[in-house]
Amino acid sequence: MRLSPNSLTGMVAAGLRTRITGLCSFAASRYWFNYRHMANALGMYRTVKRLGIPDSNIILMLADDAACNARNKFPGCVYANPGRHLDLYGDNIEVDYRGYEVTVENFLRVLTGRMDLSVPRSKRLLTDDRSNVFVYMTGHGGNEFLKFQDNEEISAFDIADAFAQMWQKKRYNEIFFMIDTCQANTMYSKFYSPNILATGSSEIHENSYSYENDNDIGVAVIDSYTHYILEFMENINKTSQTSMQDLFDSYNFDKIHSHPGVRTDLFHRPLHSALVTDFFGGVAQAEVLPPIPFSPRNTSESEHIVESGSMLDVGNHTDGGLSDLPLDGGLSQTPFLAALAGAKGDVLTRKLRAWGSSALVIALVGYVSVKRSSY
Amino acid sequence: MHLVYLVLILCFNLSRILALESREQFDEELTLRPLRDGKLGARFLFTTLLKGATPRRPEALLTMTIHYTLFPLALGQVLREYAVTELHLTLNAGNWNYGQWGYPDEPGVGTGAELWAWMGDGAPITIDERWQGLRNALAGLFCASLGSLDEQRTTSPSLTFQPEGSLPDWTTAHQLRHATLPSEHVCTENLTPFLKLLPCKSLSGIARLLNPHKLFDADWHGLGVHVRYREGAGVEVRLAFQAVFDPVRYSHDKRRDWSLHSVFDRSIDKACPVARSSKVRVGLPKDRYMISPDPSVIDDRFATYLVGAAGEALDVAMQWPEEPAFQYLLASGAEPLTDISVRRTLKGSSQSQAQMALVITNNLPVQVQASYLETMPWLLQFYLHTLRAYVDGVSRDDLVSIISYSPPVPHSRPTLLQAILTLPPNNTLQLTMDVTKTFLRYTEHPPDAQRGWDLPPAVIIPFSFGELLSQNHSMPAAAGPALETRPRRIYTPVMLVDLATPDFSMPYNVIIMSCTLIALIFGSVFNLLTRKFVVVLVDEPASKVSPIESATCG
Repeated sequence: MRLSPNSLTGMVAAGLRTRITGLCSFAASRYWFNYRHMANALGMYRTVKRLGIPDSNIILMLADDAACNARNKFPGCVYANPGRHLDLYGDNIEVDYRGYEVTVENFLRVLTGRMDLSVPRSKRLLTDDRSNVFVYMTGHGGNEFLKFQDNEEISAFDIADAFAQMWQKKRYNEIFFMIDTCQANTMYSKFYSPNILATGSSEIHENSYSYENDNDIGVAVIDSYTHYILEFMENINKTSQTSMQDLFDSYNFDKIHSHPGVRTDLFHRPLHSALVTDFFGGVAQAEVLPPIPFSPRNTSESEHIVESGSMLDVGNHTDGGLSDLPLDGGLSQTPFLAALAGAKGDVLTRKLRAWGSSALVIALVGYVSVKRSSY
Repeated sequence: MHLVYLVLILCFNLSRILALESREQFDEELTLRPLRDGKLGARFLFTTLLKGATPRRPEALLTMTIHYTLFPLALGQVLREYAVTELHLTLNAGNWNYGQWGYPDEPGVGTGAELWAWMGDGAPITIDERWQGLRNALAGLFCASLGSLDEQRTTSPSLTFQPEGSLPDWTTAHQLRHATLPSEHVCTENLTPFLKLLPCKSLSGIARLLNPHKLFDADWHGLGVHVRYREGAGVEVRLAFQAVFDPVRYSHDKRRDWSLHSVFDRSIDKACPVARSSKVRVGLPKDRYMISPDPSVIDDRFATYLVGAAGEALDVAMQWPEEPAFQYLLASGAEPLTDISVRRTLKGSSQSQAQMALVITNNLPVQVQASYLETMPWLLQFYLHTLRAYVDGVSRDDLVSIISYSPPVPHSRPTLLQAILTLPPNNTLQLTMDVTKTFLRYTEHPPDAQRGWDLPPAVIIPFSFGELLSQNHSMPAAAGPALETRPRRIYTPVMLVDLATPDFSMPYNVIIMSCTLIALIFGSVFNLLTRKFVVVLVDEPASKVSPIESATCG
């Protein structure tokens, strides 16, 4: 939770507002030799979870079971680096769609929210027009398509239309779309809905490469682009002020061996003010409102302030927009707080009452516990 | 005045909390059994009893708010929402080796996912709709693909899957729904929600040992959720995790010595504070062994430890000091551990016809009657008239009596075959039946079609034994006391059927080819029909046009 500097004085009337971030992390490839795609998606899953997004807000789709695959020498583990330092599977993981359930149909249903009534909440992307959604996809792809399970494909048009439908249904505030496949940048070329920031690993007619093999696992463990994204993310914590521009500036052809692309024309915020944690982090944004004046004459005016504050929500409020409020002497100036603190009644009676009631509570608890232990 | 209120509210809350705590009780038990092929069977059992509770009547409204302290809330909500009286869900990986490991402590060991539920009728929502909702809810709860247990896999084999608890005496009848998904994987994502249902998670008590990296390395592992209603007691939830470990594989010098730390990589640090009882029971082998530390209670079959009694971390260890390396038993010399042994195979190399064979050996010196259940997806269709039974090569069709048979409906309903088999003493019954493999639609193939389809296990239950049994035959090592008196289910291994798979690029070739042909034919016909062919008389002067000019025009 990020609070403005004047949070302590203003907590009395703080209008707390949270921003939900939904994640759809997603590996579309089947079979053991596509271990690295599972590792890509799990790496993203681990990162967003580390940055505070709960499992209930994450939809993770894995087309195959790499961790408990019979060929995996390290059961229950998926490693992201050749030295096997970091286990992505860990002890606590929830995979929402797996195996044969990972289909184009299910993926589009998750995005658009058109589901059977009995589908549980954990399998839905429960977002609204205040939610930032991060979509990460990986697998084998080509010019304007991504393969699902060696069986079917999703095209760039399908995703663009799904996002358009999400916008119409007010299912997102902003989308950050990231994709790691061959010719990945073609996948976001057809988007036409507002507030989408997209990035991909490689240009048209260009391959994305894997990072490195692990000789004990026997296959490539992670893709190059995702590896460097995750490496960048490791330095970020919940309170980080790193912006999307910093992330995109970290792209380096010499390391990744492909040309990552960024599409910003649909995104209406400057990239240096869009924080990485706006999409990757479960950062609840608390807006601090001025203490509500007590006099009835001012009530309507203060309500007006509250409303206009929340109307501004679409933008990014990282600065303490209300920091120009008086910090010192707030108590004496504000009748409301003065009324709270200034009830200068009989101090002695109040003290007595407080001590007496706590003694009574302790006595009661003691009595009950004695009673209970005698059973 | 306020103070009095405060005290009153506090009193009320405290009494309520105390009352609720005594309304629910939680017991946990870990059973470890050294098996005769050097492996170690482990069964974690967490039992929560909600005293005095009854399953929700299907026609009753969802009015009562629920408050549980120990009972798993996520599961309780699902049970109430869909008015489920009894529920059994198992997710297993691997084949249970009845020949070497005997009967399992938990009977549901069929490979893959198996879900069966008894539900009362009479609700405004039909049982099938509630069954669908239940499936989806459990799929979300346990991160499994249970949503695909649709009507193509659902049957109602009520003879084989009798309720384990009691069914409340309502005016409307109860019905069974059963479905299996043999290709389901089990991994950490299934264990994570399972642990979240426990009151102590995996932080203390025996659940501390549930370490996914070790459990999923086991030769066989499976988890189960069993809900039943016990008349007079309440609603009981049993969460079970069962695994078979191989200490010989883990050890450097091929010994079968084990300790909790070597098997699970953890030890039990402290007891779960809300558990009424927390025990570790170790089955004692017949040969010479050493066990440490000293057990709290020991009898001739089990050594029992009370967790938390010693006040320090519990790490049970068992050693065979006189045995330099473990010697595997020869398969032929071993006496069978179960009453009957079953083998099921699919013969034939054709892509359309095959023969299914079932070989059942009765290991008892008395005649045994057993029920036999097949719930086969419509992928494989039986020719029931070709069902033959042989004993010693002699045809004995009189030993099979079919109780019920519902033929499959392609693309919608599976086969259900229930039969009673009479097994002669110490003999082998062979059943054969011709089957046909269906030809699937192009879109019905799974993504890895070349691998084939997993077919669910058959279930055999021996239920009637001859008279000699009571005199001299000792029952093999038995399961938990509650299940001892019940007939025990035996699951066959799953089968893999190879259906005719098309060349998946063929439709595209066909589409491209036919489109080309259509374009060519239509084009030429259209051309012929619409074009007017006239004889153009060329004037004399026109021929004097220079050849270059005519080329540019043409």
